[in-house]
Amino acid sequence: MTGAHEPIDDGSTDDGSTADARIDADERRDATPGAASTILPTESPALVWVGLGAGLFALEAGALANFLVSILGDGLAAASLPGTDFVAGVQSATAQVPTLLSRETIPNGGYWNGSRWVGTFMGLRPGAAWALRAGLIYCYAFAVAGWAILGYRLYRREYRVANWTPRDDVIDRFRGHGWGLFGLLVVWMFVVMAVFAPALGPTTVDKNMRNSYSNEMSYWDTETDSVETILVGDANLASQSRGDTDDRVLPMQYDDFGRFHPFGTLNTGRDLFTFIAVGSRISLVIGLLSVGLSAGIAASLALIGAYYKGRVDLGMVLVSDAIMAMPQLLLLIMLTTVLAETWVGGLYSGGFLLALIFAFTGWTYMWRSLRGPALQVAERQWIDAARSFGQRPRTIMRKHMLPYITGYLLIYGSMTLGGAIIAIAGLSFLGLGVAPPTPEWGRAINLGQDYVTTGSWHISLIPGVLITLVVTGFNALGDGIRDAIDPRSDTANESAAGRGGGA
Amino acid sequence: MTKLRYLGKRLLLSVPVVWLGTSMTWFIIFMGPVDPAARLLSQGQLRNPAAYQAAQTQLGLNQPPFQHYLDWMWNLFTFDLGQTWLLYQGSNVNALILDFLPRTLWLGFWSVLIAVFVGVPLGFYAGMRSNTASDYVASMGGIVWRAMPNFWLGIMLLALLGGSASIFWGWDWQSWLIPLDAISGSPDMSRLHTVEGFLAATKKVLPAALVLGSASMGNEMRIGRTAVLEVRNEDYIDLAEAKGVSDRALVWKHILRNALVPLVPIITSEAFLLIGGSVLVETVFGINGIGLLFYQAAIQGDLPLVGTLMYVFILMIVGINLVQDVLYTVIDPRVGMEGA
Repeated sequence: MTGAHEPIDDGSTDDGSTADARIDADERRDATPGAASTILPTESPALVWVGLGAGLFALEAGALANFLVSILGDGLAAASLPGTDFVAGVQSATAQVPTLLSRETIPNGGYWNGSRWVGTFMGLRPGAAWALRAGLIYCYAFAVAGWAILGYRLYRREYRVANWTPRDDVIDRFRGHGWGLFGLLVVWMFVVMAVFAPALGPTTVDKNMRNSYSNEMSYWDTETDSVETILVGDANLASQSRGDTDDRVLPMQYDDFGRFHPFGTLNTGRDLFTFIAVGSRISLVIGLLSVGLSAGIAASLALIGAYYKGRVDLGMVLVSDAIMAMPQLLLLIMLTTVLAETWVGGLYSGGFLLALIFAFTGWTYMWRSLRGPALQVAERQWIDAARSFGQRPRTIMRKHMLPYITGYLLIYGSMTLGGAIIAIAGLSFLGLGVAPPTPEWGRAINLGQDYVTTGSWHISLIPGVLITLVVTGFNALGDGIRDAIDPRSDTANESAAGRGGGA
Repeated sequence: MTKLRYLGKRLLLSVPVVWLGTSMTWFIIFMGPVDPAARLLSQGQLRNPAAYQAAQTQLGLNQPPFQHYLDWMWNLFTFDLGQTWLLYQGSNVNALILDFLPRTLWLGFWSVLIAVFVGVPLGFYAGMRSNTASDYVASMGGIVWRAMPNFWLGIMLLALLGGSASIFWGWDWQSWLIPLDAISGSPDMSRLHTVEGFLAATKKVLPAALVLGSASMGNEMRIGRTAVLEVRNEDYIDLAEAKGVSDRALVWKHILRNALVPLVPIITSEAFLLIGGSVLVETVFGINGIGLLFYQAAIQGDLPLVGTLMYVFILMIVGINLVQDVLYTVIDPRVGMEGA
């Protein structure tokens, strides 16, 4: 039987050996009292680890609560259920909870009063205050990542029953894979940007874009030598980046109103960095949702097709061929125009609809890649054994076939996510998909299209470079996972998945 | 004989694929939440019930859905594609497609060609010098090149070419060798038979083709590299070397020729990426191709035209797949032999 080296799935079937193994683990710990502290120099490393986690969590608890409540509020508002007011009340209450990494704790919006900066963190220049906040956010994110890695190593060395599992090899191979680690780093930084988008930008979407004419700000007027107030919308009008004008604000510059713009301003005078940070959140949410859905569809269909074979499989081949015969990007354009005015089209600025369309047009590519491995697994002896045991088909697929294709799911998921980001950007470049006031990277490229050869080159250049970087990161991560799971395989000929239908 | 049977089977299988794809398109457009007849009319016309009735009758929407479906499918099948409603109002769709399609095909032709003639040699070069600095540079370039969004790459390329005189010390793309009236726009397809017209049309479409082929170029490079690496490790290469075959013959005759085999099906299978990408590239470069036509029909609400064009795209992709099967059987003697 090939099952000899199967990983112990949950241990419940085989109490005796599990108990023995646990004793082994205890002995390992007892026999080497000093070695128990290989990672954390203490008697109870788990307690320290939990303490560290609680500390990290406490720093951001308010932001997390606020985020969860706001999602609940959005859900209620979308479904037009009662209780929206109550949730709004809770939301403003959670906003009062002090968090370390918020724009309230480290503010960067302030004005020069002739002798010093007022309203910024410790009187720093706005740029320095913003850089401090952004730096702290990334430090925090890497601390969380380090904490998670520490936890895994602690579990693996001190608490896990088994000495070795096949997954250890996969992770060790990945740790030695520089290109994959680079991908992981890029993806992690992108995810952090998306998660911390509201705190990361030098200003907020609400204040700078949506309601710019309901917000006032103070600034130092050099002509009258005094502090004046102005509407944010009017200030934006005077800091537009349109070609070679004097008003343009290039990356890492201040505008005339003492506001710092890390990536410069858009042609509308709005802050490009805020636009991109919030846009990354939309891209990530749509990407994750669509890839998750299409991975689910693809995996279940691949398993069903591989298990029943014959006509079921042939039918799936026909359906997927028919969907693939319509170029994905064109199908996306057609479906977004047809479905844009339905109620689904209004959810999350059209992002939810986009994710759904993506999933139902994109599963075919992933299914194609999963079909081979699934068919291979279905031929194995243990499937026959399980069948003759009288196990139900669904159990066989889930317990005996699915674990063998999850690795492939991770690889293609990572590559498809990069493709989804390109395709979403391509659609919003065309003016489809995510509805206009909501920021999206492709729209920034569209807005700056006319100014590339002029002095306002940054509007199109920066989002494009970022898309390239993030997509490269996702592809590299996919490569790394592939090499870690099966060092001999090569999926280069399946790489159409990473291209978002040619956007 | 088995090969013929294999091809026949593939041909037979493509019929339900076309039928399914077209049926889905019909369902999305005519059974979807948008009323195609109302989309065609302006605000003023919408308030006029007679105009709405007329539009519905013209589209055949006053019939029961099944009857409409049969009519629509039959019209597509017989290439009786009717007339446009909004875009180029009232013109014959057949004539419109025949007018627009050649530009897209021209663009696609050059993008495949550029991808093959740049990507494959680069991949082979990287494979022959694997794990050297030049391999890393070439591989890295291919990966980044592949990750760039086409529409952004197009904008950047246009900016570079537009300002080429000031960037490249006086070398001006627009007037270089063959003077062009503009760096972007539709190629002139009417003078292809003259040498001058051919070159002008080629030069005009070249930047767009480079962008459209960028993804395939990256892929082909990568596969070319892997293929060379694999062939280099085969026993017959060692044998040839032991027999004293010269280095040049070893590389050209034994390695590169065999490494080409896995590449051929890849080139055709990437055609659907090209067709999908043509929408964005044609928009950025202002080429009046069938992709741009599709996009304009979609945003202006000419849904019947969208459906018809989708049918044309489906036919194109299924046709390319069949060509790929034919090439496959020619190149790989094993196809069709595994008792299929």
